[in-house]
Amino acid sequence: MAIIAETVNTVIIGKGLMIGGGFIGPAIGIGLIGGSYMQAVGRNPEASKFLGQALIFVALAELFGLLAFASTFIVK
Amino acid sequence: MIGALQLLADSGPNVHVAPGGVFSVGGLTITNSVIYGWICAVLICAALIWVARQVTVKPKGGLIQFIEVGVDFITNLVENSFDDKETGRRYVPFFVTIFFFILLNNWLGLLPFVGDGLQSSDHPLLRPFTGDLNGTLAIGVFTMLFVYAASIREAGGPLKYLHHFFVGNPRNPLYFIIGVLEMFTDLTRVISLSLRLFLNVTIGEILIAVFAYLGHVLAPLTALPFTLLEIFVGALQAYVFTILATMYLSIAINHSSAHPADDDLTEEGVPETIGVNTAGSAHGRA
Repeated sequence: MAIIAETVNTVIIGKGLMIGGGFIGPAIGIGLIGGSYMQAVGRNPEASKFLGQALIFVALAELFGLLAFASTFIVK
Repeated sequence: MIGALQLLADSGPNVHVAPGGVFSVGGLTITNSVIYGWICAVLICAALIWVARQVTVKPKGGLIQFIEVGVDFITNLVENSFDDKETGRRYVPFFVTIFFFILLNNWLGLLPFVGDGLQSSDHPLLRPFTGDLNGTLAIGVFTMLFVYAASIREAGGPLKYLHHFFVGNPRNPLYFIIGVLEMFTDLTRVISLSLRLFLNVTIGEILIAVFAYLGHVLAPLTALPFTLLEIFVGALQAYVFTILATMYLSIAINHSSAHPADDDLTEEGVPETIGVNTAGSAHGRA
């Protein structure tokens, strides 16, 4: 294990995994929110007035991706 | 542009997450974000006071119309999220202030001389106020203190306010534990409000820095789309902050105005209104 740690830059791998793993969740979440919103608008065009509420949930889901991104600065 | 070219000589994009101290007054370090926060606060106050004097019945257009649209938008938003419009109107000024302060701070933070353009001893001289956790934490703490004070006033006393956290009798151990957990969940709102704003603004700055670095000589071209994105994100985050703070307040207040109906249910056995809790009925009984 010590040899691997010396030859491979584990920090880069760790940061890559953190970014990839941390961004996949919010990406799926925002996709689901957007998809549901478009479905609702397609079914009932009057539902388009709830765009503001959809954006709130986008912001809520986005926070966790940003937390993962901010955590990459802690990894040394 | 010269600042951006000097930046390219480094081994990577120049990224700042923590604020840098510029000078100190009597042991207190004045950081670059605080300096820019003061400048922005003065500018925002001056601009909004000037706009308030210019408002006429017939719209003139320009900046005045933009501010009017914003004020109208937040006013409708706040008033409609309360059961009682009169209650909502009392809290409109606070939320409009918060909205414009965050919005204009986010947008003024995107100006080219904010950040690495002007340097003072290896720190940027100016940083966006909302791109500093201390700044957003101050906004978040102040907002939540206001929300708590307003909900306690509307509930009619601290104990009556705390009573709303318990779904049943607090002497029941299960309801007690759930109520205490609810209180702790409530306290995390300060952290989540301020972290969301801070991370969105800071990561926007980092994104622009990274793409300006990747663009090399074409830095303005590659950074432009992300600057435009950040203009949108800045507006969206100001909106989200305002609507979340409004929701926290309206949940607490609407809950307290809904309680008389619950009391009726337990004491008389029959609710006065079944399933319909209108603002008029709560108002009439009070």
